[in-house]
Amino acid sequence: MRPEIILHSFGYLIQAAGVTVAVSLAGIAVGFILGASVCMARLSGNAMLARAGAVYVSIFRGVPLLVQLLFIYYFLGKFGLEVPALVAAVGGLGLSSGAYQSEILRGALNAVPRGQSEAATALGYRRADIWRRILLPQALRLSVPPFINEFILLLKASSLVSVVGIAELTRASMNIASSTYHPLEAYVGGGLLYLAINLCFAGLGTLAERRLGVGRPA
Amino acid sequence: MITSKTFAVTRRSLLRSGLAAAAASGALMSGLRGALADDTLAEVKKRGELVIATEMQFPPFDISDNGTYKGVDRDLIDAVGKEMGVTVKYLDLPWTSILPGLEAKKFDLCIAPVTITKERMKRYLFTVPIADATAALMKRADDKSIMKPEDIAGKTVGGQKGTSQLAQLKEFATKLPKPVEIKEYVDNNQSYADLAAGRIDASVNSFPNLAYAAAQRSDTFAMVLPPFGAPTYFSWVGRLDDKSLVDAVNAAIVKTENDGTMAKIQKTWFGQTMDLPQTVPEPKI
Repeated sequence: MRPEIILHSFGYLIQAAGVTVAVSLAGIAVGFILGASVCMARLSGNAMLARAGAVYVSIFRGVPLLVQLLFIYYFLGKFGLEVPALVAAVGGLGLSSGAYQSEILRGALNAVPRGQSEAATALGYRRADIWRRILLPQALRLSVPPFINEFILLLKASSLVSVVGIAELTRASMNIASSTYHPLEAYVGGGLLYLAINLCFAGLGTLAERRLGVGRPA
Repeated sequence: MITSKTFAVTRRSLLRSGLAAAAASGALMSGLRGALADDTLAEVKKRGELVIATEMQFPPFDISDNGTYKGVDRDLIDAVGKEMGVTVKYLDLPWTSILPGLEAKKFDLCIAPVTITKERMKRYLFTVPIADATAALMKRADDKSIMKPEDIAGKTVGGQKGTSQLAQLKEFATKLPKPVEIKEYVDNNQSYADLAAGRIDASVNSFPNLAYAAAQRSDTFAMVLPPFGAPTYFSWVGRLDDKSLVDAVNAAIVKTENDGTMAKIQKTWFGQTMDLPQTVPEPKI
């Protein structure tokens, strides 16, 4: 083990870690918008919309992210749809994460006892108010731990975006391993940075949970 | 069916399915393509930029030194770009992505060194050779039991899956008095790591790759001389229908050989110069 290899390449690794974080944050944001829309479609009561939502989830949760990325970047181009690398990376992460996030939201909404919205209806609440004041506050609170989980999974899965030519953290570690002929040091460096990033986000998640009172009775 | 770059079974099968899909969609689109029939060389000249792709994990050809692209390919493609009057844009892609990307026209030329073989010539247009690709062996520096290639009889040798160098090793091993145990790796770096760790007795790869690795870590590795394989060469590859572009690149490569630029690049990275054929040689493998 020669720690100076990691130190020598530290700037490169940090820069690549920045790419990993940026791509993952953008992916989770796109995924949230898609996931919320799909979840709404599935709970809308409209059979067609619900069906479309279910198909979306099946496809993007069922096909490996690597295959999705290769498809978006290389094969859409064959049909005249030119997708820049960054768009393909964020889009691929977002589409895939959207499927998982919609299920997180759906699970959280279903976890709020039905009796509450029935009671609210009986008390004369409007439908929008039932969502805004009763369902969403509780569901969002319930979904914080699985969201943190999903983000950490996505951040690690983002190593796959190197297939479209984005130099993220895993790719940078591999480059260092091959140029220095010291693979152990390169991967230890990359692995420690992943761990540091994920610990930061897990810490933020714990703060959010505390603030929202997750785990305490509503 | 791949280069001597990075060819894991997973990568290869992925690539194969990718190529199948590409072929299928290509068939669908062939009518439209024929109509467009764009000339890549004219397009490159018009935009003033040649876009190339390689995997920057193949020293001394392609190296990403803390994010900066270096190596034989970098120096040579810069000279070629200068000759053609265009700037060069480099993409770093995993090997899995390079051939599908070439077919999807995400870039103009693949400058990852590809060993010229008969099978590959059917699918891709090869440039004139850019370097020697003859298969050779590397051992641990302190191993006195391997002094010539034949000494690997009865020992364990590692190499990268799908490479022509590994195929040549298998062929070579059949002629030895004792069987050679062959371990296949996803990429050469893992084979080198296992060699250093003592899990295997030798690594097979092209002569220039090994000579560079042995020079970089002379405390750990040493070459087994001479190279055992039939003389083969590395080239770059373009799309089959891009003859004008590949011709222009060939003319530029030959010029670097005649004006001494190539010799300078070889001295920098290999420590010695070597003559290369100035036409695409008939592959022996």
